[in-house]
Amino acid sequence: MRDLYRRLGVPPDSDGETLSRAIAACEHRTLRRDAEAVLVEAEHRREYDALHATLGDIGRLRSRLGLTHGAHWRDGLADDFSAPADLAGSHHEALMRRLSQAALAHDRWRRGRALGLGLGLFLLGLLAGAATCHWLLG
Amino acid sequence: MSIARFTPFERLLLTSRHQADTAALLLLGWVLVNQGPVGEDQRARLVSLTRDFRHGHDLAPLLEIAAAQDLDAIQLAAEVLQREARGGYPFLRLAIALAAGQGEPSPANHHVLRFLADLLGVPPQEFAALYEATSQRPLQEPADPSRHAYWQPRFEERARREEARRQAEEQARRAERQREEERRRKEESGKKREGRGKTHEGRERQEDGRRQREEQRHGESRDGHRRREEQERPRHYAPPGRQGRALQVLGLAEGASRQEIRRAYRRLAQAHHPDRFHAEGEAVMASASRRFQRIKQAYDYLMREVS
Repeated sequence: MRDLYRRLGVPPDSDGETLSRAIAACEHRTLRRDAEAVLVEAEHRREYDALHATLGDIGRLRSRLGLTHGAHWRDGLADDFSAPADLAGSHHEALMRRLSQAALAHDRWRRGRALGLGLGLFLLGLLAGAATCHWLLG
Repeated sequence: MSIARFTPFERLLLTSRHQADTAALLLLGWVLVNQGPVGEDQRARLVSLTRDFRHGHDLAPLLEIAAAQDLDAIQLAAEVLQREARGGYPFLRLAIALAAGQGEPSPANHHVLRFLADLLGVPPQEFAALYEATSQRPLQEPADPSRHAYWQPRFEERARREEARRQAEEQARRAERQREEERRRKEESGKKREGRGKTHEGRERQEDGRRQREEQRHGESRDGHRRREEQERPRHYAPPGRQGRALQVLGLAEGASRQEIRRAYRRLAQAHHPDRFHAEGEAVMASASRRFQRIKQAYDYLMREVS
């Protein structure tokens, strides 16, 4: 499938008027005919748009997973729906990174808690000692 | 200290007893959502297909994520599946059964299935064989709704309906006329009425025959028109953003330098050179050669255009 919006040079969410102007300005006869059949009818356009969105998603997934040259991804599909190179990297690695970060934070918190508990007990003992001294002497 | 936040799918994955099964389940849910609205039947089918899975959590939250088409979650699931799955066949069989179990897969699922095949490294020939073995039907090429021809049957259907409506109106008018005539005839004598009725019938038969011939002629001219158009369709079409597209083929962003282009080309050309696939049969080699051609063309074009 081809991306008609891209070939007409209009954004996919453009309204009917912009579309019909772009279609009228299109010099390619077959493309104009196809665009008229697909995009002018509201019902056809809805169906086309749903598939268009799915293919856009698949294109983005392929570019992120390094599958833009897959054997099943050819011709019009690969030309029109391959997303630009995405350097976001692997989601799995990011998840593992965040997981180890969370584990580290948890450990730190545990250690901090033990330290805090000890300190608290020590202060409490100090206070109790002071109170006892005060009571005995006073 | 930064607090790590996890998306719902990540949390499901982390609490799952078997990560690959959770990932596979999300991707199957994606296939199911792309097949159409998800009702009780579809859900039951998914459950019965995946009864061997060992994930150990509810299906509902996964289906919710799949219904939202959350791209990040789907990407993560794809990565996990690619990493953990031992050979893609069992998973692909499930996906095909889900998409093609009841009739032809939806156009979206044609592409989703092919994406999953690429993800798991199943080449087209093997995928076609697997599809046929699983669904008992040959694998069709996905329909192309960006072509006029895809919508032709609907236009014809509408024209037929229009025609039927016109004919019904015509019939009603004729019946009306007949009633009128009947009334008039009642006022006249019996002998005369018989004769006139016969001639009327004959005229009607003649008219019907003419209409049929006309319809046949219409059909023929429409078919001929379509055939001619397919011949006229040009093979090459230079769209506006050709440079951007060439950059995409090489996996580069806008504004890449000549050196970057050359480096990307060398890397891709090595990876996709047909000679590398010599041992894997003719079809694989042909598809590699097509990919290689595409890469080479993009490179040649960019070398001419980018200074």
